[in-house]
Amino acid sequence: MKKILITLLLITSASLYAADVPLKVPHPKPRLIGTQVAVNIGNLDRSDGLPAESIKVPENAKNIALNKPVTSSDPAPIIGELELVTDGEIDAEEGYYVELDVNQQWVQIDLEKPSTIYAIVVWHFYSQARAYKDVVIQISDDPEFKKDVTTVFNNDEDNTAKLGKGDDKHYIDTHKGRIFPVKAVKGRYVRLYSSGNTANQNNHYIEVQVIGTQQ
Amino acid sequence: MDETKKLSSLSRRDFLIKSSVLGAGLSIGLPKIARAQAAGSPANELNIALIGVGEQGRVLMGSLLNIPGLRFRAVCDIWEYYRSAAKNRIKKAKGYDVATYEDIDEMLAQEKDLDAAVIATPDFWHSPHSVKCLNAGLNVYCEKMMSNTVEGARAMVQAMQSSGKLLQIGHQRRSNPRYRYVLDQLIKKNGIIGKLTAINGQWNRSVSEDLNWPKKHVIDEAKLQKYGFENMHQFRNWRWFKKLSGGMISDLGAHQIDIFNWYTGRHPASVMAVGGVDYYKTHEHYDNVMSFYEYDMGGYFARAFYQVQTTTTSGGGFFETFMGDEGTIVISENPAHTKIYREDRTASIAERMKVWDKLTSDGILRAVETPAAEKDPTIVDVRESAPAAMFDLPIVLNKAIHQPHLENFFDAIRGKTKLTCDGKEAFESEVPIYAVNPAVEAQTKVFFKEDDFKI
Repeated sequence: MKKILITLLLITSASLYAADVPLKVPHPKPRLIGTQVAVNIGNLDRSDGLPAESIKVPENAKNIALNKPVTSSDPAPIIGELELVTDGEIDAEEGYYVELDVNQQWVQIDLEKPSTIYAIVVWHFYSQARAYKDVVIQISDDPEFKKDVTTVFNNDEDNTAKLGKGDDKHYIDTHKGRIFPVKAVKGRYVRLYSSGNTANQNNHYIEVQVIGTQQ
Repeated sequence: MDETKKLSSLSRRDFLIKSSVLGAGLSIGLPKIARAQAAGSPANELNIALIGVGEQGRVLMGSLLNIPGLRFRAVCDIWEYYRSAAKNRIKKAKGYDVATYEDIDEMLAQEKDLDAAVIATPDFWHSPHSVKCLNAGLNVYCEKMMSNTVEGARAMVQAMQSSGKLLQIGHQRRSNPRYRYVLDQLIKKNGIIGKLTAINGQWNRSVSEDLNWPKKHVIDEAKLQKYGFENMHQFRNWRWFKKLSGGMISDLGAHQIDIFNWYTGRHPASVMAVGGVDYYKTHEHYDNVMSFYEYDMGGYFARAFYQVQTTTTSGGGFFETFMGDEGTIVISENPAHTKIYREDRTASIAERMKVWDKLTSDGILRAVETPAAEKDPTIVDVRESAPAAMFDLPIVLNKAIHQPHLENFFDAIRGKTKLTCDGKEAFESEVPIYAVNPAVEAQTKVFFKEDDFKI
């Protein structure tokens, strides 16, 4: 019994004090196609966001969303399937993204196990420069997101989504994805909201990565 | 029998046909239509089919879904991936199912109650598809260019004339209130640029890789060949192949050279051009073209330069510039690229200043503060001109850029207005565009003859 306790303690310590390493995020090729539409939106961060290497995560953290089940407020997408959100393929071409209905929609990833999350990386759509509106990203152990919800990003400045006003800035999606650092938040489910974008009213996801650890 | 009952006793399509055939008699018919619309009568709804729902078809659909009074009946595309996306989008937006077809002949055989078709297929299909639809009694909105050949474009006008149906070509700037305002208010009515002497336009699009395709959505080669494509690469990248498209001068340049012709109110007298396939290994069409047109303005020539670049960055974007001896107008679909400049050194400026000041005080122009030149006391550069006084348009387009053009089409079907770009007018404007690629090949100046513009 004592041996087991010591072993558990060692494992826990190792996990707690695992060396942090720079986050690595895949960068597909940039791909802007066709006539670009002006990005007319206020409170816009024109930078590419935080570089991956500036974010430190535990050495054993990885994309725990890969091939995990995805549900959505729009269960029958206009283009593609919900599985594309976590299929590991990051490509702006036709066939690699899911298009959801207009107005506010969400996708939810079930990480299937209790998880500790250190970063979330989102590629909405990058073959056209766009800013998605009212982007809200939340983590919870409740699949209904009614209790114990942690909001890690919110740029809904006028509370359109009725999830509370957010102070974060709008941003333009690029091939680098948008990295949202997360302070070791625990939860099994990740939910991402948006309400159309500056080019059209629909909502899109090429890929979402959740960087974390699981027992 | 009251007017509403009279309306309902006609089939909806009969009613629309009779209304449109009445033509000049619409002063009597119009109030009936207006009352039917106000009552939300389905008799006034137009049944439409979308033919080609790829990249451009989707853009048009985004506008179509915002236009009231349309009933989406059918979607036709050879790629199931596109068809299902269009069907799903309509279902979500409108709440009803739309019939889908791979083949236009099957669609026309099955769908007997269509009023109009919106065509956004690859260029080489524009003419056959438009002619089929016109001959089937449909009004047609077809994307520009009309065809990949001038003969194809001519056949469309012939079908328009023989069928008596409407043919609108997708030079959407012609319905853009900003473009119309510049022509009607600034150039024609107030003559703010003075004597038009030079025109310049460009579309720079950044380099990009060829389009790819998802392996799980590949179309088999037999089907591709049935519809004129050798393989999936050609299907996805048809804009670059000579038998399928007119190339970049047609794809991008057509929008802007059409404005040259529309604003000058004439076709050019000649064109010469240079270009090449210098950057891409998989393209047949020129990836960069520079063309020079001469317009006989009656007593003098105005010259126009147009370039389309796909081998550069997109720096500078796309715009058309009309330069006169008293002012310059830079107009673009992108309002950020639109500016108007007054030249203050002309002999008649004192008088002209009064005109510009009045236009500004009347709200016809909006003055923009001219940026002050940076002063460096150590440098005196006598070569530099003082910055020209700068103005902006006082109006904005608050809709998707294709929506007014589509609205014009449907309003014309209902007899409320005339088309802003009917097939014949578009043909006359496009003839000089079809001449560019041959002019590059011939390496000589091509002079247009009046016969070139005849149907």
